[in-house]
Amino acid sequence: MPGARVKLAVQGLTKRFSPQVTVGPLSFEVMDGEFFSLLGPSGCGKTTTLRCIGGFETLSEGTILLDGQRLDDRPPHRRDVGLVFQSYALFPHLTVFDNIGFGLRLRKVDKAEIARRVRQMLELVDLPDVAERYPAQLSGGQQQRVAIARSLVLEPSLLLFDEPLSNLDFKLRIQMRYELRDLQRRLGTTAVYVTHDQTEALALSDRIAVLSQGRIEQLGPPGDIYERPASAFVADFIGSSNLVKARVRGPGGGADTAVETEHGMVLTIPHVADAAGTPVTLLLRPERFQMTAGNDGDPRAEPVANRTVANRFTARVRDVTYLGEDLHLRVVAAEQQPLLVSIKNSKGTRAITSGAAIALVIDPEDIHVLRR
Amino acid sequence: MERAEPMERAGRSPAWALFVGPYGIYLLVFLVLPFANVALLSVYLHSPTKIAVAEFTGANYAKLWEAYYFTLFLRTLRLSLIVTVLCAVLGLPLAYLLARSTSGIKTLGLFLLIMPLMVSTVIRVFGWVVILGNEGLVNQALRLLGAEEGLRLLYTEGAVVLGLSQQSLPFMVLPIMAAIERISPSLEEAAQNLGASWGQMFARVILPLSMPGLVSGALLVFSVSMSAFITPALMGGRKGRMVGQQIYEEVLTAYNWPGAASLTIILSALMLTLVGLALWTTRRRARLEMAR
Repeated sequence: MPGARVKLAVQGLTKRFSPQVTVGPLSFEVMDGEFFSLLGPSGCGKTTTLRCIGGFETLSEGTILLDGQRLDDRPPHRRDVGLVFQSYALFPHLTVFDNIGFGLRLRKVDKAEIARRVRQMLELVDLPDVAERYPAQLSGGQQQRVAIARSLVLEPSLLLFDEPLSNLDFKLRIQMRYELRDLQRRLGTTAVYVTHDQTEALALSDRIAVLSQGRIEQLGPPGDIYERPASAFVADFIGSSNLVKARVRGPGGGADTAVETEHGMVLTIPHVADAAGTPVTLLLRPERFQMTAGNDGDPRAEPVANRTVANRFTARVRDVTYLGEDLHLRVVAAEQQPLLVSIKNSKGTRAITSGAAIALVIDPEDIHVLRR
Repeated sequence: MERAEPMERAGRSPAWALFVGPYGIYLLVFLVLPFANVALLSVYLHSPTKIAVAEFTGANYAKLWEAYYFTLFLRTLRLSLIVTVLCAVLGLPLAYLLARSTSGIKTLGLFLLIMPLMVSTVIRVFGWVVILGNEGLVNQALRLLGAEEGLRLLYTEGAVVLGLSQQSLPFMVLPIMAAIERISPSLEEAAQNLGASWGQMFARVILPLSMPGLVSGALLVFSVSMSAFITPALMGGRKGRMVGQQIYEEVLTAYNWPGAASLTIILSALMLTLVGLALWTTRRRARLEMAR
């Protein structure tokens, strides 16, 4: 669990590559033992930020503090910050043993101690038998584990990951994700993790900073980022989403507010204070829609509370994408409004084909109102 | 292992002969046959009037044990090794810089590096004479600074080393540069991240990984230096005499072709042995490293 002490403080980090290309100013703090992710599309500045912390880019402005000490004026080899590369960056001319022992040897640790610690690391990453092999003789996943072991053996106060799983295939990526999180929790190492993969960030992180064009769009725990995105960019980047432009119409049923989308669909959303006519953007997550049979006898209609009756509507299916676990439907609701709907694959959903009319419902609580 | 398969396949197909054939014929006619002729000449009797008589003798080789030739070979070997080491020392940082620079600077650097090769050796050496001669630029500058006596720079071993190094540097830099370009910059960063200073990183990562390029470069420079004759002849005088120049004079001045042939055979044997040895040791090391 992350502690209450600030481990890494990035203050006003700015990196100017050219007047047009600038990262920052960025400020954030990473707590002791926290798993912190920098998430964003390519070119958003996440890797630059990481490289500034590692010492491979010099800041144009700002400071970086590690344990309260200035980090940014130290050369990269005196930073006590481990970096795991996307390409693993294992030394091809050295055995796995010598790769992991590389840093210890530089620190003049004696041979027996190096051997002991390297063996211990290999055990930790579950690769006890590859010490004498060369990196070229290992699989991608094994190489990645060696790269992690090589950084961990030095017991760095901070561990940086630069998209470490993106070169692995899907299954392995999921498996390594679990292993990585277990390892980090077990050792309590503070980690800063750079990725463009939102699932990875959601699965691994204690907190996520979503970056866009060199700025932090939103910083918070995965749940907040997903459920309450601060901007349309975040909503769109994290998960698939329906972003719908609408105008406030006035009070709806109870404490709720009614809105009308630009395509004329009327929806009930949780209470907003805005006056009628105010434009808002609505986020409707595709998996929050539920199918109702439309006729009252259908049991799936039951869990939906009374007040959601307002958000019950019929939609025409334009096409169905079969994904195994889920079906993605592109539908048109209320004659005009295109929506993406994700439903669990089950016996009842097999009949859904393009052109079919289905009854859908969404809880007003599941509609998030975006301010920007 | 990976390369063995396509080679085998090529061995069975006629395309192989088509690709290698023209150059093979060229080599046969212009290298193998003349060389065989040289080998034959080297055991013929030298005759002052007929140049060579078809009478077998070991005299041409026996003569090479005289102190004069022994010194000559030793000097050739020594100077070539010095040139090789000098080129490696000068070439390695240069190769690193070029390999890691942006494409514009790289193009300019490569052009400057290769430019000396576009100038004839004679002209290039003449440039050195202008700089190093008794009334050359260096001595003129020294006199201006108040030196009574000029330095004797030309016609020394040092002058030969200088001339040969200039000529050979591109042959060292290009293969090392190619090797360094294949080393991912992230390896450098990884080494530094693990606590290596820039110097330690260079010694432990760049140097071992650029070794194949360094070996190729060294072999090229060494071979070019061992067989050089224009540069030592024009810049070395008597003190910097090398085997290549001796062969040249035996052929064109003394008309002792069998003598020249025996020198050629010994020089070639020496080079082949050393080059073979270098290749064998590095290949063996590479195999041990990669195939375990």
